Amino acid sequence: MPNWFIPLAVVCALMFATAPILIANAPYESTMGLVQKIFYVHLPSAWMFLLGAIICGMASVRFLFRGDPRQDRLAWAAAELVVLFGVLTLVTGPLWARKAWGVWWQWDVRLTASLMGWMVAVAYLLLRKYGGPGSEKLAAGLALFGMANVPFVYISVNYWRTIHPTTNVVPSLPTSFGVPLWFSALTFLLLFVLLLRIRVRLEEQRARVDTLYLSMDA
Amino acid sequence: MKLLSALLVVFVSCAAGGALVLAQQPPPQQQDEFVPIDQLPPQDQLPAAPLLVAAYSFVVLALFAYVVSVARRLTSVQRELERLETDLKRGSSA
Repeated sequence: MPNWFIPLAVVCALMFATAPILIANAPYESTMGLVQKIFYVHLPSAWMFLLGAIICGMASVRFLFRGDPRQDRLAWAAAELVVLFGVLTLVTGPLWARKAWGVWWQWDVRLTASLMGWMVAVAYLLLRKYGGPGSEKLAAGLALFGMANVPFVYISVNYWRTIHPTTNVVPSLPTSFGVPLWFSALTFLLLFVLLLRIRVRLEEQRARVDTLYLSMDA
Repeated sequence: MKLLSALLVVFVSCAAGGALVLAQQPPPQQQDEFVPIDQLPPQDQLPAAPLLVAAYSFVVLALFAYVVSVARRLTSVQRELERLETDLKRGSSA
């Protein structure tokens, strides 16, 4: 593992220990009250979900055009993180919505597009797992759709009628809400980087195992 | 990993089925009276704390489970790699 991994993991662990204190001290939102505090894990999870889809898509583009196996490994690792952070987003969102909106789920554009993006990532992983030889290029093509979905998810709340808050909420946040949010987002970003690196490492080791088996057969 | 894959397939199938059921739900009825919140039945009053605790618990447990899963897979591959390298060294020295 690279030299920066352990220090960054320690910093990330300290930030994870500190974040609940900041979140607990953040004020209650006027209409939603206590349940609004789900925001501090829901939004960073959603950002990492979208970031993972972008990384997976970009790495897949590079893999398709250059054939670089390192990009393929990066795309595979990122797809797994898309599924992980997508689950966090799609579970914490309804828990918040049940109290704030009175329903678990709304078939509005953002929620539906997010679900579709998550399902694309699941399809990517299933294809890699069970698709057999050649599935990496098919999966890379699928990842492009996952990436194309990202701007759609992001801007959808500004263009279609929905009860989901718009993208103007975050830039207009008062400091008392903003500090815990950005701290939590930075913590999630560090975690994302660490998990991506360790997941890429797993694929690198698997590639070495494959190379050794091939050299034994030869 | 096979168990995880199987669980994933089951989860996706259930999610798709659930999504269809939710999509077919009738629209909520129009409101024809206002009811004070303290007169609602207990199951409709929805305290926020359990939802908040559920959300944070799920995040922590899911992240922990993923870290454990990656660590286990990495350890397994590492062992296989070491075994193969040892076999290759033995083969080349023999």
